[in-house]
Amino acid sequence: MKTRWALVLAAPPLAIALAFFVVPVAYLFWVSLHQPSQSELYGAALTLGNYAGILGDSFYLEITRRTLGVAAAILALCLLVGYPVAYFVALLPARRRMLVTLLLLFPLMVSNVVRAYGWIALLARRGVINAGLEGLGVIAAPLELLYTTPAVVVGLMTILLPYMVISIANTLAALDRRYEEAAQALGAGPLRTFLHVTLPLSMPGVASGTLLVLLLTLSAYVTITLLGGPRSKLLVSMIYDGVTAFQWPHAAALSFILLALALVLTGVILGVLRPARVQGTGR
Amino acid sequence: MSRRRTAGRAIRGTAAAIAFVLILVPIVIVVVAAFSPKDYFDFPPSGLSWRWFVEFFRLENMRGAFALSVELALAAATLATVLGTLGALFLVRRRGPLATLLQALFLAPLVFPTIVLGVALLLLYKTVGMPVFPGLLLAHCVIGMPYGFRTVLASAQALDPALEEAGQSLGAGPLATLLLLTLPLVWPGVLSGWLFAFIVSFGELNAALFLTGPGVTTLPIEIFSYLQFQGSQLVIAAASTLQIALIIGLVALIERLVGIGRIIRAR
Repeated sequence: MKTRWALVLAAPPLAIALAFFVVPVAYLFWVSLHQPSQSELYGAALTLGNYAGILGDSFYLEITRRTLGVAAAILALCLLVGYPVAYFVALLPARRRMLVTLLLLFPLMVSNVVRAYGWIALLARRGVINAGLEGLGVIAAPLELLYTTPAVVVGLMTILLPYMVISIANTLAALDRRYEEAAQALGAGPLRTFLHVTLPLSMPGVASGTLLVLLLTLSAYVTITLLGGPRSKLLVSMIYDGVTAFQWPHAAALSFILLALALVLTGVILGVLRPARVQGTGR
Repeated sequence: MSRRRTAGRAIRGTAAAIAFVLILVPIVIVVVAAFSPKDYFDFPPSGLSWRWFVEFFRLENMRGAFALSVELALAAATLATVLGTLGALFLVRRRGPLATLLQALFLAPLVFPTIVLGVALLLLYKTVGMPVFPGLLLAHCVIGMPYGFRTVLASAQALDPALEEAGQSLGAGPLATLLLLTLPLVWPGVLSGWLFAFIVSFGELNAALFLTGPGVTTLPIEIFSYLQFQGSQLVIAAASTLQIALIIGLVALIERLVGIGRIIRAR
């Protein structure tokens, strides 16, 4: 009776997760292993040609390199700006910390397309920045700020920054201050205490923030398209183009290359930051 | 030594100031632009007007997209929260490899690239002939499910098992225990999960990008196609401001009902 009753609880979410998550992704993989077809969604013959075609094409290698470069730049900026901000937030008294966290959560609730639009209004040829600089007489002609790779990096970095700050701040705020006090009592200065005690102990937050920012960067099609234009396309743009051209097996193979890239980068980040070293050791 | 400490404080303060400017200015600009009285956006604004909001509600496709987004988010968040709650209540006292696998499955959409999920669902829907709205609803349900699951699981794990045992020893069956005892106790988790699922669905782009159809478009996708194909007209700023306003209104409502502090902590 007890198990049967419990199964009633588990069955609906399990059914939805299988039917609309596991099955479609498996089907997509199945399609990626088939030849393209003019009349059907995919051809009858099994092949690895879609993967071989992409991996052997220097165009896609260049796109992949650009994707990795943009992701690395966004991650570096998010860490560089996000860590001190997280430290700032973590040291606030509890009530103020709650307010500031709310201020960081609010932008995450606003759709990314709206936040990208804000950057367009700032960076466009007749946008706020160009108008301001022209008004001050700093520049004679408007600068080309929009539709560049730096626009994608800066825009996406600010859109994703709150994830990094909140992740690190949560870890730092939960940190036992006695570790730092112990280090200082033993004669370590503030810098050494930070480098040898605080920073290593905050690695779980750094790791989860880094992973979130990375994964969201890889699928941020709309932001990349709006701020980067046709010249700054990344892997995710290629998936979209493949789908709109009805090249299903090709788009499916690109999707799994993106997934594989996400998986490899996740492994690298966890291997470098090793958050598990800190977790579970009591805090 | 104290100079270094002051330097540390200065770095943190400066970084925080820069970060908040970079994060908030683009959003503020959009809201300011929405009230522009002119055909184009000039900064600083030369006056205030509602004309772009009037224009927004005059445009049938904008109005329709707004209504569809609200309906979709309400339905998807509710369905996702019910399913997530069921999954969490099933898993709360279970251990072992099967429970770990199920938990990973219920949380996976949180980290799975939604663009790939969108492509996969479009392909499936094309094959089985799924209509647009139910297709979108199920996609947003999958994306929203982890939020309710996570918050309810956290709330339920904090419960004292003795409470449920007490309920059952007083003669309550499993259904009565669930509805009269467990559910009221995990309610903040349920509400918090619903709020996040609603907000995620209301702003979601990557799955909706593939799954919307002619005449059945969500507000974020409508804003995106306007920006892409018709340039940045200020009616977009009005649409964006309405997007922001609805979220602020919802958060304020939840704050009045249960207090936002509990919601944030329940994450």
